[in-house]
Amino acid sequence: MPFRSEPGLADLYRLPHTQMDRTEGHVDEVRAGMVLEAASVETASVKAHGDEGHRDEGHRGVAVLLGMAAILAAIVGVRATGLASDASDTWQSALRTEVKRSAAALNDIGYLYQTEVPPVVTILGTRMQEAELRAAAATETGPVADTLTREADVQASVLTAISSSYELATDPAYALPGGGVNLGLRLADLRNQTPALLALDPDTIQAAGDALGAKAASMTLPLLPIGVAALFAALAQPFAGRRRLLLAIGAAALAVGALGAVAVEVLA
Amino acid sequence: MIEPEVATRWRSKDAFDRSATLLIGAVAILAAILAILQAGNGLASTRAQAQAARLSADAAAKMSASSLARDAGLRSQQDALVLGMEAVSRLMVATQGGDTGLFAVGTAEQAASGKLTAAITESAATSGASPVDPYAAGLISATVDQLNAEVTEQNRQVNLANDTGARSQRAVLGLSLLTLAGVLVGIAAVLGRGRAGWATLFVASGTIAVTTGVTLLTVF
Repeated sequence: MPFRSEPGLADLYRLPHTQMDRTEGHVDEVRAGMVLEAASVETASVKAHGDEGHRDEGHRGVAVLLGMAAILAAIVGVRATGLASDASDTWQSALRTEVKRSAAALNDIGYLYQTEVPPVVTILGTRMQEAELRAAAATETGPVADTLTREADVQASVLTAISSSYELATDPAYALPGGGVNLGLRLADLRNQTPALLALDPDTIQAAGDALGAKAASMTLPLLPIGVAALFAALAQPFAGRRRLLLAIGAAALAVGALGAVAVEVLA
Repeated sequence: MIEPEVATRWRSKDAFDRSATLLIGAVAILAAILAILQAGNGLASTRAQAQAARLSADAAAKMSASSLARDAGLRSQQDALVLGMEAVSRLMVATQGGDTGLFAVGTAEQAASGKLTAAITESAATSGASPVDPYAAGLISATVDQLNAEVTEQNRQVNLANDTGARSQRAVLGLSLLTLAGVLVGIAAVLGRGRAGWATLFVASGTIAVTTGVTLLTVF
């Protein structure tokens, strides 16, 4: 086929005509007769098939990039949503733990100051009255001493009746030098009776929630380069002349998004 | 030569395709931005709500615990005072009646009242002190200033939750508008480059412009 090597034909195929131009019969610059025309139509057909193949490849590239961007966006979105849900659950857990901790502490504090302290103060008062009455009786004689002793016996009787019920008033561990009781030590002992409640730490749980929340927020950031990848993939469709470049930029953006998501997952 | 009519038609199709593509690209970018904003603000709102609730619980616990300890201390002081008043009454009656025995009892009670007051003060000094755990100690020893500061912070968290919650809702509104814009671009692509297609594309671009405004409102 000698015409294939002719420069004129090569120029013809380099004309900025589209396939539509050729099919509509606008390739009328060629004036070489039937044989040449037939040859040019045949060659144009080959070229057209080549262009079509190239265009199909370009379309495929756009479709693949858009599909990958969509899939990656879905994966990143699902992961970010999962992390956000975990963070929310953890924060709610911190709140529940806070309420549980405060309820436990209030229970112990209420027991000490409302249930134990009032009768213990009565016991302390009675104990001190008995001591003062006996001390006074020791310095008196006759009917005054008898009166003081009887009154001291009364106080001792009251003391015997009520003091045995209150560990705070009777346990020497709680006794202070001035006759008072160690409320701090008593509260610590009450709190230590339930070590599981004492160990509650909502701040640690909150910190874990914060870490999950930060990771969830970071996980959404790769959506931006993925969106850019989708943008360039879409632009590659009409801008056929720069399709390769646009697809390359889109692929790079997609890679950045994927790497970012992996980095957040591994490092955060 | 390409005939002018054909060339015009091609340019027209090209313009339509490029416009639709640019709108799709804008939808993709805005979707990514709004998703990031929605997630960030949603998380911040949830955290602030939980934090506000925690602070409320903590402030309530501090008010209860500190008032329990303070009330117990006051009642104890009143008990000591009553004992002292009882002693004074005995002394007065004993003096009026010349009862030396009753007078001696009153004197002993008065001394006991003084010692009881001292013992109560001594006990109160250990209230919330070591070895009580720091949390319980903090509840008992909470001051009005601390409570005021905590309530201020709680109010700030509530305001933060409201603000970020509103931003999150605006982002959701933007995403909804964006979905509409995406559907409109799709319909325009189906209708083609005729008048109806261009009109649909125009409405889609208007929707995207509104979404851009909503996005800016979400950010600022």
